[in-house]
Order: sequence, then structure tokens, then C-alpha cells
Amino acid sequence: MGTSQVIYAGWMEIPNSAVEEHSRRRTEDVALAALVEQYAAALYRVAYSVLRNPADAEDAVQETFLRVVRHRDSLTEVRDHRVWLIRIVWNIVLDRKRRAKTRPETDDVAELARVLPSTGLSALDRAAAAQHHAHVLACVEKLPAKEREVLMLSAFEELTSVEIAEVLGITESSVRSRLFRARNLIAGLLDHARNSQ
Amino acid sequence: MTTKLHNSNPSSCGSGSAEETLRMVANLPAPSGLEDRIHASLRSAPRPARVLAWPARLKPESNWMRSAAAAAIVFVVAGGGWGVYTRVEQSRPGKVIAMPLHAAPGGFSGAGAVRTPTTIPGPAAPRATQMKDEKKPAAKAADRAADKAADKAATKGGVSSQIAGQK
Repeated sequence: MGTSQVIYAGWMEIPNSAVEEHSRRRTEDVALAALVEQYAAALYRVAYSVLRNPADAEDAVQETFLRVVRHRDSLTEVRDHRVWLIRIVWNIVLDRKRRAKTRPETDDVAELARVLPSTGLSALDRAAAAQHHAHVLACVEKLPAKEREVLMLSAFEELTSVEIAEVLGITESSVRSRLFRARNLIAGLLDHARNSQ
Repeated sequence: MTTKLHNSNPSSCGSGSAEETLRMVANLPAPSGLEDRIHASLRSAPRPARVLAWPARLKPESNWMRSAAAAAIVFVVAGGGWGVYTRVEQSRPGKVIAMPLHAAPGGFSGAGAVRTPTTIPGPAAPRATQMKDEKKPAAKAADRAADKAADKAATKGGVSSQIAGQK
């Protein structure tokens, strides 16, 4: 199609760039598919650590990529796709948790025993381990939100303190101080629970 | 400094076991077929249509279009302001109490100015002139008697003169 040929549809025109747009969209689709393949599992783990419900976590990951599609124009401006995607999914899961206020599925000890890995453990040991993890997670839930968020994100081995700071929108020193407070608080909570038993 | 936080030593045994549990939850494998389901949901998601575009002459980024839009905004704002100005009655200027301009050197001073507020006008009393026209009842009665006597005299005089005329 030559540059002088312009097709009009009422007041609007179908420009030559529509063809280029089509090819650009195909490129974006390929990039998006690559993002899904590369980061879907990591995003699922982040979502699951907060929601602790497989279906909700998967929904959150899908919503994350739908948001990416909506803002696909800014995809090229993103410096670190991994941190950017984790930040999106983190905001989504926090919002969902705030709205739903549902009990996490892993509060159920039997569900924890099913989900958590149990290599080389007897059924009795597995049940005891599940009970212990459930108790620890219940104590984590009692932490203040800021400290809890940092503690949960620090559990992801692929995230550095700088990346956690980027995800939460705070400084790295804040991450460190919050993590220090969180560790002290959780230790106190667990010690208190142990002594009361 | 991009250190890994999970490598740091926990402050106590309790914190360590908590982090171990969180790490275990964080490392749970994603369900199989997750990527395929996400691809399917992305394929079914609605996408913004970008086939139609503004004609080149009417493109919003063209300069004359911007100028026209700015002129239209200025016209609307100015017209609205003028409309308000013509419809709204102008308020009276507030009473200003003139203060002395010159202040004493080295600080503020009233320069002996005394503010004398305008006093409120008192209640209007009825004028005494209205009482002037009114007469006392006794005087009124005397006046009436005098009027009657004058009328009688006039009628008598009138009748006698008529009789004399007839004669």
C-alpha cells in the first residue's frame, strides 16, 4: 500500500500504520508469551505465599498478565520485567486478601500436610510437621502488615533486598529494619506460644 | 548493595523456623498447565482496536488543531466570565477606615489616630408637631358651640333678609 493511498471510514481513516500495528502486536504477543513462560511459576509462588489458596493464586497470576496486556505499550519501558511483574502480582494479592478476608487454606493442617513436601517422613511425622508449619504461619499472620510483607518476600530466594524494596516501594534500609523487627517479633511470638504450652 | 536476605542468620531459633516454613511455602511448585491456562485466558481477553485513526489533517497532535483547541478554551472561559460579570450585581465597596500612613521610626504606632465608629441611629420618636393640631376636648366643645351659634345667626339673618326682599 502506497503512502498516498488512504482509506476513509467516515471521519476516521485506516492508516498505513495499521499494517505496521498488526505486525507490532504480533511481536508483543510473542514477548508476552515469553514472559508467561518465564515468570508464571514465580508469580504463582508469590501469590500462593500470601493467599495460600491454589485457585486464588492462579486467578491472581492470570489477572497480572491481563494487566500487562492492558499496559502493553509500556512494556518496552520496563527495566526489570521480573520485579515489575512481582510488584503487580503482589499488589493484586494484597488487594484480594484485604477484600476477601478469607481464612487461608493452609490454616487447615490436613491441607498443609497435602501441599508441603514430605520426603522420607512417616505419616505421623508428616502430620506433626504440618501442625508445626500451621502454627508458624498463624504466628506470621499476627505480625504487623509491614513487617509481615517483608518477611514473606524475603523467603523468596530469587529476590534481593533491593528488589524487595522495589516491589514494596520503600528503601533498602527500610527493608532491613523491617526484617529485623519482623524476626524479633516472630521469635517472641513463637517463644511465647511455646512457653504457654 | 544487593545482598540476599535469606542467607542472614536468624536472631533466634523461633525466627529461623518461621523463615524455614515461609521458604517452604514459597518454594512450592506451580500447578502443571498453569502457563497454558494463562495463554488461553489472554487469547480470550478483549483487546483495544487500533484500526481506525484520526485523519492526518485532524490529528490531535497537529499544531493548528492545538491552537484551535486553545482558542476555544480561551473563548469559553472568557465568555463564561463575561456572562457572570454582566449578571452579577457589583457589590458596594466596603467601608475603609483610613489609617495614618506614617509610622513612627523604629516601630509601629497609631500616630494618635482614634477610630470613631459610626454610632447606630437611635429609635425615631414621634414628632411633637402632630400634637399641636390636636385640641383639648373642652376647647373642641367650645368651638362646636360657637360654630352652631354662628350657623343659627346666619340662618336667621338669611331668612329675615329673604322676607325683606320679598316685601
